Amino acid sequence: MPKKVLLVDDSTTTLMMEEMILKQRTAYECVTAKDGLDAISRAVVEAPDLVLMDVVMPRMNGFEACKRMRLESSLRETPIILVTTRGEEEYVEAGFQSGCNDYITKPIDSFELVTLLHSYLGE
Amino acid sequence: MSNISHSPTELEGTRSTQDIGSQAKVYAARMRLQNAIDQADALDAIREIAGNLIGTEEIAVFKVDQKRSELWLYWSFGVDPNKHSVLEIRREPKLKQVLGGKPVYRLKLSNENLLSTDDPVSALVPILVDGNPSAVIVLFRLFPHKPGIEPVDREICDVLSNCAGRAIEPYHSR
Repeated sequence: MPKKVLLVDDSTTTLMMEEMILKQRTAYECVTAKDGLDAISRAVVEAPDLVLMDVVMPRMNGFEACKRMRLESSLRETPIILVTTRGEEEYVEAGFQSGCNDYITKPIDSFELVTLLHSYLGE
Repeated sequence: MSNISHSPTELEGTRSTQDIGSQAKVYAARMRLQNAIDQADALDAIREIAGNLIGTEEIAVFKVDQKRSELWLYWSFGVDPNKHSVLEIRREPKLKQVLGGKPVYRLKLSNENLLSTDDPVSALVPILVDGNPSAVIVLFRLFPHKPGIEPVDREICDVLSNCAGRAIEPYHSR
């Protein structure tokens, strides 16, 4: 069974790019969601092995979605990586407080992304 | 994030992953612009591409006036529109260059700004409509962790130049 990654972003451009990179450089299966609320329901149904989620999104941002996912027993241990536009300490700290395991900054570097996912899911 | 060192074989893998990443960015940019459903969506596509693929959330689109002497602010995101309402072509040598049809980029580590404004300009990208530059996308300050315009960003800017016509001409065919 391939590992499953839930990609969450309101930008179709980003989802398309992330999916292309992961499909070509990993064996992971990708599922997608368009915002934080959508992400929670998709995550409960799909039970992904990892969530890669944008922070700034309509309806519910990535910090809030991350907090709520941690309240779901099935998602408590799922690695969550937040995608941020800012790498500043304060912003990153807010991410970790919301319960994320790691972060990656935009624009995404494909090598960094693949290496980071491999470190959580294996090759 | 940890520091990563590579063996020669790993370096090849790194390059290949980065090549795929570049191709993915260029493809995603092209598809997003070509699938824009209307003018507002095309402008949103420019914002998405600049923010997610290039690394700036300070963008403006200026339309060339009929006399081709000035550019008027048409749309902006993340910049003060009052500060950048008009650009006079005779005062801006780089704009003349851009209106020749090719993007102009600020070189890494260069202190020279591309426009006579306090705000740092990273790239000037002409929007071509039927092969003619009809507008210019100005990409201002890049994200702090982004050192400068990279080769892949130039490829993305070429896509913006050739595929963003709908953002300024609603009935422009793609």
